[in-house]
Amino acid sequence: MNEFLGFLVNGLSLGAIYALIALGFVMIFKATSVMNFAHGSIVLLGAYVVGRTHDEVGFWWAALLGILAAAAAAALVDLIVLRHARGADLGTLAILTIGVDTLLSTELTREMGTAILDAGAPWGTSTVHLGGTSVPLSRLVAALVAVVVVAVLWAVFRFTHWGVRMRAAAEDGTTAALMGIRLGRVAAGAWAIAGVLAALAGVFLTSFPSPGISPAAGVTALAAVPAWVLGGFDSFPGAVVGGLVIGVVTALSAGYQEHLLFLGRDLAQVAPYAVMFLVLLVRPSGLFGSKEFARV
Amino acid sequence: MTTTAAVDAQPVVEVEDLRVTYARSVQALRGVSLWVPRKGVVAVLGNNGAGKSTLLRAISGTLGQEGGTVTDGSIRLAGRPVERYGPSAIVAEGVLHAPEGRRVFGTLTVEDNLRAGGTAARSRRARAEAGERVYALFPVLYERRRQRAGLLSGGEQQMLAIGRALMGSPRVLLLDEPSLGLAPLLTERIAEVITEINREGTAVVLVEQNAAMALRVADLAFVLEAGRVSLQGRAADLAGTTEVRDRYLGMGAGQRPAPPDPGQRPVPSGSGQLLPPSPGQLSPPDAERPSPPDVERPSPSGVAQPSPPGAGQPSPPTAAQPPSPGAQRKGTAEAGSAVHELVVEDVSVRFGGVQALDRVSFTVTPGSLHALIGPNGAGKSTCLNVLSGVYAPTTGGVRYGDHDLTRLPQHRIAAAGISRTFQNLALSPGETVLDNLLVARHRYMRTGFLSAALRTPRSRREAAEHRAAAERTAALLGLDRLLHSRVGELPYGDRKRVELARALCAEPGLLLLDEPVAGMNHGESLRMEQAIGTVQRELGISIVLVEHDMRFVMGLADRVTVLDFGRRIADGTPAEVQRDPHVLRAYLGDLPGVTT
Ligand SMILES: Nc1ncnc2c1ncn2[C@@H]1O[C@H](COP(=O)(O)OP(=O)(O)OP(=O)(O)O)[C@@H](O)[C@H]1O
Ligand SMILES: [Mg+2]
Repeated sequence: MNEFLGFLVNGLSLGAIYALIALGFVMIFKATSVMNFAHGSIVLLGAYVVGRTHDEVGFWWAALLGILAAAAAAALVDLIVLRHARGADLGTLAILTIGVDTLLSTELTREMGTAILDAGAPWGTSTVHLGGTSVPLSRLVAALVAVVVVAVLWAVFRFTHWGVRMRAAAEDGTTAALMGIRLGRVAAGAWAIAGVLAALAGVFLTSFPSPGISPAAGVTALAAVPAWVLGGFDSFPGAVVGGLVIGVVTALSAGYQEHLLFLGRDLAQVAPYAVMFLVLLVRPSGLFGSKEFARV
Repeated sequence: MTTTAAVDAQPVVEVEDLRVTYARSVQALRGVSLWVPRKGVVAVLGNNGAGKSTLLRAISGTLGQEGGTVTDGSIRLAGRPVERYGPSAIVAEGVLHAPEGRRVFGTLTVEDNLRAGGTAARSRRARAEAGERVYALFPVLYERRRQRAGLLSGGEQQMLAIGRALMGSPRVLLLDEPSLGLAPLLTERIAEVITEINREGTAVVLVEQNAAMALRVADLAFVLEAGRVSLQGRAADLAGTTEVRDRYLGMGAGQRPAPPDPGQRPVPSGSGQLLPPSPGQLSPPDAERPSPPDVERPSPSGVAQPSPPGAGQPSPPTAAQPPSPGAQRKGTAEAGSAVHELVVEDVSVRFGGVQALDRVSFTVTPGSLHALIGPNGAGKSTCLNVLSGVYAPTTGGVRYGDHDLTRLPQHRIAAAGISRTFQNLALSPGETVLDNLLVARHRYMRTGFLSAALRTPRSRREAAEHRAAAERTAALLGLDRLLHSRVGELPYGDRKRVELARALCAEPGLLLLDEPVAGMNHGESLRMEQAIGTVQRELGISIVLVEHDMRFVMGLADRVTVLDFGRRIADGTPAEVQRDPHVLRAYLGDLPGVTT
């Protein structure tokens, strides 16, 4: 029982990190209808900048730099690569982002070499004992940050003018443009926010218990894709719930690996996708995906 | 209003010899010139497809999003050429465009829709003031401010669309059919609103099918035909020309017809009894006809060359002309649906705090045309939604012959021979008109998938039959030329026709029509009236009709039920209902007889 509780807490906190990444996917998809497969390398970029600079400027400034770098990179991807392809079909846009991903991650890998950088977070490798199980402190911080970020995002979307414009543009860009809403700015803003979320996720994804910042982090980040899809592509609550589900599934299948050997090794890597397929079988548009919303 | 000063003032918008082409090489504007006096109101009239919305899109810089380009000509705002500006630059110049077909942000609340509209406002103060004004104009929007806009009734959405445009405190306001789907009383309100904001200094370009209203509030008017200006002049002068009276006003400007003689029951045949369409009335305007002195007849090429206004437009169906779908139907035994009595009994529907229908009852006798009228948000569309199985009533029952419609799922209701059209249109925009119509033939397709795939002679014969049936229906509604156009490219009024055609293609016994002539001008709605009348006469089907065009309703209906706040406030013949004081107060206004 205690063991289960431990896996659950670990899973939820891992899920919080996935949720941050999945929120970025949703944000970009809603604002610009792009499935952004360059997101993994933006996560990596954020973490890399933190790892590179924290020795000199200290962790907090480094984190800020990482966040700014990731936000700028994401906005630039939109401005330079995708702005000129607006209106192209989903597939073309997705392939463009895969190209960007390859470029960016190759470059980062070259920069990093084989060294594994450390994020230098103050919580280091300490763990906390919670109801008989131990949880890395970094994961608890991650969960806390995720909760705060989600609350802030929600409030910004719900109450600010920027949020209203963003939602209006996402629903009907043509009409929004008629009100003077600048679609280009809204789009770049959405990408930048997704970049911020990616950098935050990057820091936690590479903190203890993971070994540190290496190119593998970009790939790990893509574990949030099933979270995004099963949440329903265009739903913020879906991204959060999807992230948590995938986190828990991953933690449980890793934890009980020994008992589940008949399903093969590396179950933890496969399980998220299996869960995603199961959900999509029952609900083709995901848990929270918008079905055509209209009355007649 | 129609002061010389207003007309002669420095133009704030000048359009010169504007030519616009859409992606698939449709030339939508072929050299349009017009101007908007500073602080003036300009009405733009014309048939569906004449290029009115295209003109507005060109001014607001949104042609690109619809796949159109300005190929020639110029647009100047206060003297500055802006034809290459993007939409946000145009908005920054103070020009706001309320587009065709409402387009409210359905997932946003009413309040947030208005906030989005306030993006262009000059200051926080201006935005707050505009907000108060909009809520004062349309109190229902205030009541519903926390509700998602997608759940509002059609007319409420229209109010929101207008309110949203007002939020930006524009210098020039481009309104595309603001009275679309609004009850007569509200249309009057819109007219007052336009006059009022104009008095405060906003110039207005008004594209409107309700020509009587448009010409009343406008200083200048332009008539577009097939992408050209065919008539222009002071609104008051234009309203006096025979052409405008016949084609757009129907009954002469300003004057309202006397209420029909109570003893005389309008003939339900729909042959336009209140308004006999004399042969000349629907024919293209004749260039030789003398026009009043102040009305210019611009001829872009310098030669008096009246463009055939009928071009691209359906001709009115005459008795000899296109056979209705029924002509064939009588031959094929399996097609068509039986016609039963429809009994609606004590039906109530509630949405959260809104009682959309409150113990409503009425009976539609087989083969009759029953109209359902009432103010915006009265529950008319909700009633159609109950009849077609979209909503289940909280209480009450609906019987159609032996079927209990409240218990049947939507597809079974369709199979019982009930088909409908939608107020907000539910077509596949990417498909052609023909494909949209063929979808409705689905329930008559006999050949299985396999033989269709193998293209057996039988399946080919059947496919040809369905195609022929779809083409006949299209011809009846004047859509024959548009069969291969994509629905998304058609103007609103034509899309409404496609919807009706699709419903007819299912060969129903009971047809439910939600605002079939919204977005059509007088001449077009006359043709719809004839088409619907013909269909009903020849097929003997029942029709339940929701519509705000009273001339249309009163000309066609055998019986009228009036709803207000979900309750039935009157039920009777058109003549009885028009005299009912409750109906006058709640819906028609204090105007005697038919309102426009
Ligand atoms: N699905 C829904 N959810 C919430 N409210 C609804 C829903 N459908 C309708 N309403 C409300 O019920 C009332 C009746 O709406 P309905 O669409 O039937 O009006 P209507 O008579 O067709 O008006 P209009 O002439 O404007 O089309 C309106 O106040 C509307 O806002
Ligand atoms: Mg309605």
